[in-house]
Amino acid sequence: MRRRLPIFLSILLLAASLSGAETDREVQARKTALDLAGAFTNDGFKMRDGHWCGTIAPHELALIAVNLYAGNQYWFSVGTIEPAKKIAVALYDESGKQVTTENYNAGEKAAVGFSPTNSGQYVVSVDLVEGAASSFCLIYSYK
Amino acid sequence: MFLTRRSLSATLLLVLSVAFAADAPHLSRDQLAKAVRSDSISIPTPGELFTALEKPGKPNWTGQYRGPMSTTYRNRAQIALNLGGLIADGFIAVEAKDSQQVKNIGSDIIKLAKALGVSENLLSRGNSINEFAENDEWDVLQEELEATQNEVKSSMQTHSDQDLVILVSVGGWIRGTQVVSAAIMQNYDERSAKVLRQPALVSFIHSKINDISPGLRAEPLVKDVNEQLVGIEKLVSFPASKAPSVEEVRKVNEAVGKVMEAIQNKTDAR
Repeated sequence: MRRRLPIFLSILLLAASLSGAETDREVQARKTALDLAGAFTNDGFKMRDGHWCGTIAPHELALIAVNLYAGNQYWFSVGTIEPAKKIAVALYDESGKQVTTENYNAGEKAAVGFSPTNSGQYVVSVDLVEGAASSFCLIYSYK
Repeated sequence: MFLTRRSLSATLLLVLSVAFAADAPHLSRDQLAKAVRSDSISIPTPGELFTALEKPGKPNWTGQYRGPMSTTYRNRAQIALNLGGLIADGFIAVEAKDSQQVKNIGSDIIKLAKALGVSENLLSRGNSINEFAENDEWDVLQEELEATQNEVKSSMQTHSDQDLVILVSVGGWIRGTQVVSAAIMQNYDERSAKVLRQPALVSFIHSKINDISPGLRAEPLVKDVNEQLVGIEKLVSFPASKAPSVEEVRKVNEAVGKVMEAIQNKTDAR
């Protein structure tokens, strides 16, 4: 476990450098997302070493495409910071239809769990339910 | 009266169902097209692909090894493509829990990365890979391989080699798909075969290659890989609910095998 910590920290640092100049707010949002995603590792989920940070605003869905494999289980964890107060995450298949997911919501962080029966492209949506425009960060885990 | 009520209930139910269907959240084609796509989150790692393949039963991972490969390429695009493929080989060795193979591949990864001049921090990665392999820490090794891949990509970006980043991902995806399609052919299972359906992913990779500098795109190997991806995209476009047949899997395997052969052995790369 002690050995995992340096890897985890290096993932954070590398992810920051890979995605270019990330703002402090995005780094904070990523930390919130990582806190949430970390909980799923207890159930054997591996955290993908990659993320997406962006901004959310009222009445605007942030949409991120991911490619998933049938048979795997996934959790998509999103974190945000003030002034965003509550977010919602959802997942859509390649035809645009929302798929049934397990949901976790806790104000500035939310996650959806999904086990695809079909491989292919899916789209994660992040919606600002309450509060004002802010940064968010998406991380996913799989097993 | 009873019949009328029943009819009324049925009609009401139908109206409500239609209303629910109309209200069911749905993204428009325009929204789907505008969704963000990024190398860091939209291209799955070889580890994700291999995890899915293992679900119906553990494949013969050691049977998917390939012989030692050259680490003396001169062409930077060829090095980047082979680096991606080698990292996928590292994931295979981890799945096979073969510590010596992990160490061999780790050493080759460092050599290729050095050839690209991106090795400042990679030496310590190589040492970590060796240490984790000796201690059979397989989960940590998988994380370390992902971190190594990202470190290579990060270093490429800081060295103004960002065009090479997508080539590392391409090499990894092609080698991963070659291994998975070969394993499925050896022990066909519909559930495993479904992992090969990835038309949007190939389309995205293809579009990323089209975005790189014209000079790099015109290099014979990159041009060859890019052209062959058009055919591969068609081959992995199976209907969503139908698993590909053994014959369809064989066609995918042949196509990616041909690209992998070019990546590994093409000698006219400038």
